[in-house]
Amino acid sequence: MTNKVSLTLTLACKDWRLFWVDRRAAVLCFVVPVLLASAFGTIFHRPANAIAAKLAVLVVVEDDGPFTRQVANELLTSPRFDAKQVSRAEAEAAVAERKAVAVVLPAGFERLKSWQPGVTTEQPELLLLHHPNAAPERQMAQGVVTETVMKRVTREAFTDVLKGDETVLAPPFKIEAVGVSTRNGTQFNSYSHSFCGMTLQYLLFWGMESGLLFLRERQRSVWTRVRAAAVPLPCIIGGKVLATAFIALLQVMVTFGVGYVAFGVRIDGSVLGFALLAMTACGLAAATGLLVAAIGGTEARARNVSILVILGVSMLGGLWVPAFLLPTWAREFSLALPTTWALRGFETVTWQGGGFRSALPSIAAVTGFTLALLALAALRLKLAERSLRQGKT
Amino acid sequence: MPLPVALSLVDVTVRYAERVALESVSLDVRRGEIVGLLGPNGSGKSTTLAVAAGILEPACGVVTVEGRTREADPGAFAIRVGLVPQEPAVYDELTAAQNLTFFGELYGLCGSDLRRRVSQTLARVKLSDRAQHRVSTFSGGMKQRLNLAAALLHDPPVLLLDEPTASLDPASRDALFADLTRFRDDGHAILLTTHHIDEAESGCDRIAVLEKGKLVASGAPSELLRAKSTERAVLYGHLRSRPPKYLERAIRRRLGAGVELEITGRRLRLAADTSERLGEALATLLAEGIELEACRTPAGTLERVLRAEECGAGEHP
Repeated sequence: MTNKVSLTLTLACKDWRLFWVDRRAAVLCFVVPVLLASAFGTIFHRPANAIAAKLAVLVVVEDDGPFTRQVANELLTSPRFDAKQVSRAEAEAAVAERKAVAVVLPAGFERLKSWQPGVTTEQPELLLLHHPNAAPERQMAQGVVTETVMKRVTREAFTDVLKGDETVLAPPFKIEAVGVSTRNGTQFNSYSHSFCGMTLQYLLFWGMESGLLFLRERQRSVWTRVRAAAVPLPCIIGGKVLATAFIALLQVMVTFGVGYVAFGVRIDGSVLGFALLAMTACGLAAATGLLVAAIGGTEARARNVSILVILGVSMLGGLWVPAFLLPTWAREFSLALPTTWALRGFETVTWQGGGFRSALPSIAAVTGFTLALLALAALRLKLAERSLRQGKT
Repeated sequence: MPLPVALSLVDVTVRYAERVALESVSLDVRRGEIVGLLGPNGSGKSTTLAVAAGILEPACGVVTVEGRTREADPGAFAIRVGLVPQEPAVYDELTAAQNLTFFGELYGLCGSDLRRRVSQTLARVKLSDRAQHRVSTFSGGMKQRLNLAAALLHDPPVLLLDEPTASLDPASRDALFADLTRFRDDGHAILLTTHHIDEAESGCDRIAVLEKGKLVASGAPSELLRAKSTERAVLYGHLRSRPPKYLERAIRRRLGAGVELEITGRRLRLAADTSERLGEALATLLAEGIELEACRTPAGTLERVLRAEECGAGEHP
């Protein structure tokens, strides 16, 4: 038993030495995830008290009536729009280039002035011009335009009731938006999400790189000597997992350390939960690498397939952008991916401030995935060694 | 009294899928002897070595090292065998000392014993002054010596060497055989593969000839080579540089069907029916601008021919 532990450590130390041979490459292993996480965090960063961005809107007025001019004025002065009045042709040109959304108040729009509840008349058609790829902007513009027009129509319809007091038309309620997480008062930090996501993605890339190194090593004559030394397969696997996971753990520590110092990424929840999650995620990276080495075939094939798979599970697992932006089918499918669970766990114990219990499902899921991948890789490596020994390959 | 058998192959058959690579090969290597496995490419030399090292399982037959099989005790078997693969089987990225330390630990060595052995083995292969240098900075000969050192570190009774001189110049080759002779005298059993008869003749105590996976002859080199030299006149040489392919093809055409020309890297083998034809063939080669660094003939039967051409060759030994 002692001999096997010592063999495992020997193999792990060898990989550790090989990792540091190219110092610049080794340093980049720590720098790249930090840069990626910082870049993603900066792109998505919105301070809690920031003023919402105004939507660029062009207003085209094709009816000369006073009611229409009133609506146009209200749209042009809306605090949620950065609006200006233009001609129809100018509006279409700007929309085609996705510079703005355009609201066209067409000829006959003035008819709305005489609208009465319950009276069916021909409805004028308000036109909303948008770029085909600007659905969110269209939705926002539609909401603001509807609200503005309805307020004006209501004023006109209930002039007698209002008697000049327009405050009556104010909504009889207030909306207060409250962010709710496990710990009250927690504020979302986009850097937390990006540091969790990018760390996980880079761990998988490191796992892949480690797997490719192993694949290359097994194809070199030096592996003949290792095989001749009759090193048991569990020691080879153990050594590889230990070295890969240890370096991955250093990456986690460096990345989150920089996140803490530079961007305020904090473990607001269970530190134990974070530590266990980090360890299981590092194990997952090592298992991924081993699987790459076990089933990769040639290095070029393994690299290409691995990149595809890693980018796929990163995107679907919500490592790039939050999962709620994904379509429903993708969100449901992502539950079958280890990245989804790992990210959930990290987010729970970092900015959401979750305790150890709330992180447990994620820890259990990532551990399960890791063990399954390890078992698959070990089986494949065992069969490969048997085939090699029997001269079948 | 003969020394005990260290490595024994009994009726060993190896198959690669449907192809039979070795067929009922039986071979003993005793302590204190160097056995050369001779044969053309694809004859089964490397397969025999792989089976002897325990990295390939025979379909039939038994391989034992000092009476132990790999199946019964892989660890005890492995520690008694030192394998020297054809390509230097070391990590280019690590230093010589780090490589030996790693391989020593794989064989269960540790602590001061390991440090002492690393130092001794590096001295044995004359690499002490390069112990802390990365292998990537070594020459081909130095890598081959480190390759040998990695196999010697745990002091195995059996040494297996696969084409150990394939990428060496004549001086490094002679140095390697001098080392092997010392190890043989220290009581190691050495089995090496080669397809150069001159190497086998001068460096081995016994030769086993493989052909298409079968052991076709075995015995002392003088006996085997005497039998062969009656049939053909042969010359072995080392070229200053390998000629381009088009020149090689042109020379072959000029030599005609009765003369065999083999060029492997910078090694040359020239064989003809008679000494006279061999002399003519050598003259043709020299006339085409092929320069020889060294050349020799087995059993000295062609000394006369060589002397006649010595002036043209320039640097004959």
